[in-house]
Amino acid sequence: MFAEFGYGILVVSFIVAFYSLIAAVYGALRKSAAMVESSRRGMFLVFPLLSLSAAALVYLLITNHFEVAFVYEVTSRSMPTYLKVTAWWGGQAGSLLFWAWLLAAFTSAVTLRKWERDIEFLPWVIVVNAVTIIFFLGMVVFYENPFTRFWLVAGNVEPHMFAPLAATLFTPQDGNGLNPLLRHPGMVIHPPMLYLGFVSYVIPYAFAMAALITGRTDDRWIRLTRRWSLWAWLFLSFGLVLGGRWAYDVLGWGGYWGWDPVEIAAFMPWLTGTAFLHSVMIQEKRGLFKHWNMILVILTYALVVFGTFLTRSGVLSSVHAFANSPIGPFFMGYTALTLFVSIALLIWRWPLLHGETEMKSMLSREALFLLNNLLFMSVLIVSFWGVIFPLVSELFTGQKVTVGPPFYERATAPLFAGLMLLMGIAPLSAWGHSTIKTLGRAMWKSALAAAILTVVLFFTYTQNYIALIGFFLIALVLFVTFQEFGRAARARQRAQGENFFTALARLMGRNRRRYGGYIIHISMMLMAIGILGIEIFQKETQGSLAQGEQMELAGYTIEYRELASWPDEGKGVNFTRAVVDVYEDGIYLGELTPRIDYYFDSQQNMTIPGNRSTLKDDLYVLLVDWQPVSSMGATFKVFVNPLVNWLWIGSLLFLAGIIFTAWPDHDPAEEPLRAPQSTNQPSAAD
Amino acid sequence: MTEELTKKRGVSVPVQIAIWVFLAGLLALVGFGLNHAQNPMAQIGKSVPDFDLEYYPGYEYNGIEKMKLSDLRGKIVVINIWASWCKPCEQEAPDLEQAWQIYKDGGDVVILGVDYVDTPKGAEGYLTKFDITFPNAPDLKSNISSILNRQMGVPETYFIDRTGILRHVKVGPFASVGEIQSIISSME
Repeated sequence: MFAEFGYGILVVSFIVAFYSLIAAVYGALRKSAAMVESSRRGMFLVFPLLSLSAAALVYLLITNHFEVAFVYEVTSRSMPTYLKVTAWWGGQAGSLLFWAWLLAAFTSAVTLRKWERDIEFLPWVIVVNAVTIIFFLGMVVFYENPFTRFWLVAGNVEPHMFAPLAATLFTPQDGNGLNPLLRHPGMVIHPPMLYLGFVSYVIPYAFAMAALITGRTDDRWIRLTRRWSLWAWLFLSFGLVLGGRWAYDVLGWGGYWGWDPVEIAAFMPWLTGTAFLHSVMIQEKRGLFKHWNMILVILTYALVVFGTFLTRSGVLSSVHAFANSPIGPFFMGYTALTLFVSIALLIWRWPLLHGETEMKSMLSREALFLLNNLLFMSVLIVSFWGVIFPLVSELFTGQKVTVGPPFYERATAPLFAGLMLLMGIAPLSAWGHSTIKTLGRAMWKSALAAAILTVVLFFTYTQNYIALIGFFLIALVLFVTFQEFGRAARARQRAQGENFFTALARLMGRNRRRYGGYIIHISMMLMAIGILGIEIFQKETQGSLAQGEQMELAGYTIEYRELASWPDEGKGVNFTRAVVDVYEDGIYLGELTPRIDYYFDSQQNMTIPGNRSTLKDDLYVLLVDWQPVSSMGATFKVFVNPLVNWLWIGSLLFLAGIIFTAWPDHDPAEEPLRAPQSTNQPSAAD
Repeated sequence: MTEELTKKRGVSVPVQIAIWVFLAGLLALVGFGLNHAQNPMAQIGKSVPDFDLEYYPGYEYNGIEKMKLSDLRGKIVVINIWASWCKPCEQEAPDLEQAWQIYKDGGDVVILGVDYVDTPKGAEGYLTKFDITFPNAPDLKSNISSILNRQMGVPETYFIDRTGILRHVKVGPFASVGEIQSIISSME
């Protein structure tokens, strides 16, 4: 009953979305406000409708309705309820519905805003959202239906939505169970965060297309979507960070990022999204880069769809890949359609999008932002090339050759270094005009301090020149940013007679975007410390130990004490847990308990590291294998990951920084147009 | 004024052509990849898409350590998908081996084990434990199970006739060697 209900509502939502699309186009072309209003209401309705359908699916998931193929695939009796709920996005069909549901939520929210001043955008924003929703719902309704059930037809079990002739419903005893790798708390929120990020980029894209179609190509669309793109960026960033943390905790290879095609698929829209966040400021402040912003927002949306396509089509092999699926060609068709329509619109409106001024100085802030954008694009090109290279090689040689992390690391490291250098210089530059002299005067102190610190590190910590360059850049950015905070706060302190901290707090509150941006820069540098630490200084060893035997790595000694293996029938898991004692330079630090969990229902192992985490380094111990009870030997893999904790600390600060920046205080759409050129940049006046 | 001119200028035709050609090329490339990635799937009554396999060390058929499905035309091919962690598989393993002993000298029927998502260690232990002599191979990247369109879990067994057409799919373990024999004889 619930399956039919859920599917029925899906079909209804599909029809309503389709109606809204037609009504919006008709209303816009015939200038019929009533039709546009009707399409707006239709669009608003899709979200509550899909919520009902989703509720039916969740109900089936938590009540063990294994006759439903999707429920059978992703849940089992032994799973706790919260995991059964999150299994919703643990498989292809459910996650497509989840995607559509989130998008419907965002679309409903958009239809509810005050449209008076932007009424000409409304139908076209609805069109873009409706087309996207129709596409995703179409996938769910026609190809990947989460409500399909098993039927016994002439002795064979077949999945169908409705009962075939002379068939009886087939209910398996128990389900397959969710992939144990996906049972980590990080995994519970990682996909929703990524999807939220993906989905929220549809909104800026929709407004951009509306601006192109209506020919209203001033920066209104940018102001209207600024906050959307920030939240989209927040969700996407959060999703990426959670994925990294999950990999570190669960995948058991001592890393956080493996340049896997699907990771890159999520990283690519992040790159264009980050470039977009910077370059919209130039359009707002200087009226430049209008073409470029359009290109970036189109690219971001196309990469979102392309990324979803890569993950779901089986076109690339990846740890993330969904099973072989018939929806690949449709996703590809949709990506092609999106690109075709967007680029055609852009070419059509190209003459309307020329800049209002010209760039005058190669060291002005807009020039440095342009450089920043070029660097982000270069990282994108490297990533994109790496992702499609297996296809290129297959086409020309017949062999799928995958490029590994070393390719990406070598190609992107100098680009990231360039971005860091820009992070150090750009905050000190002025809109419109800067010279080497003004920049030099503003940054020599920070540069000197960073150089001194680097020399100290050379003598005390490392002689690795890549690490030293990295540390120098990190120190430079940190010093410059702190100096900026200090200088501006002191200026306010003098002017307003406030104490330093009040001045700092008020200053930040009054210009959230700038100071939030600086917080994000600082957090990026903390993350960079962690990344340098693990990439350059990671040490690893592997060995088999008998009970009481020891193994050493980077000053740590681990001693294998005991191992126990026991099944937990209730959870459906067999735990195998080793206990090792950890010493550093002979001093006892405590014990670690690396585990292997074996899940009965999905017959998969999960390797849980024992991890001792400090600001200096992580000692990360994996249980690789063990011998039968008689000898009680066990094999361990041990990593020492210096400084990696700074990656997570930086991530937290990063999230705080975005939330600080995006927090609603006033509507950016209501801000005055173009700010005067010089008053906006205190450092130029300094 | 040059500024006036630049303001009116659109995208020149050669640039437009270049953009569309680039885009088309990119899509063609992805389409090619997609085409390759989409494994054809088997259906009862239809011909089974071809695939090849490399047997586990110590296994062979007719003295060859590899096989291609199309090379076995003219014989009845029984493909059993199993895994060392699968309890019901253990139940049917002796029956399959017994069936192999019956058919192997005739040369008319090939029984083929395909090991799904497993560790080499686990597989070796399983094959030794049940003294399995019919050719066995790992299902690398789950390629075979996706070609055969595996529906449920393991074990599943696929019966392919002499012309390469899928005739029968058995989900779950066989109850006896007689069950295997009766399916094979129904295909003669």
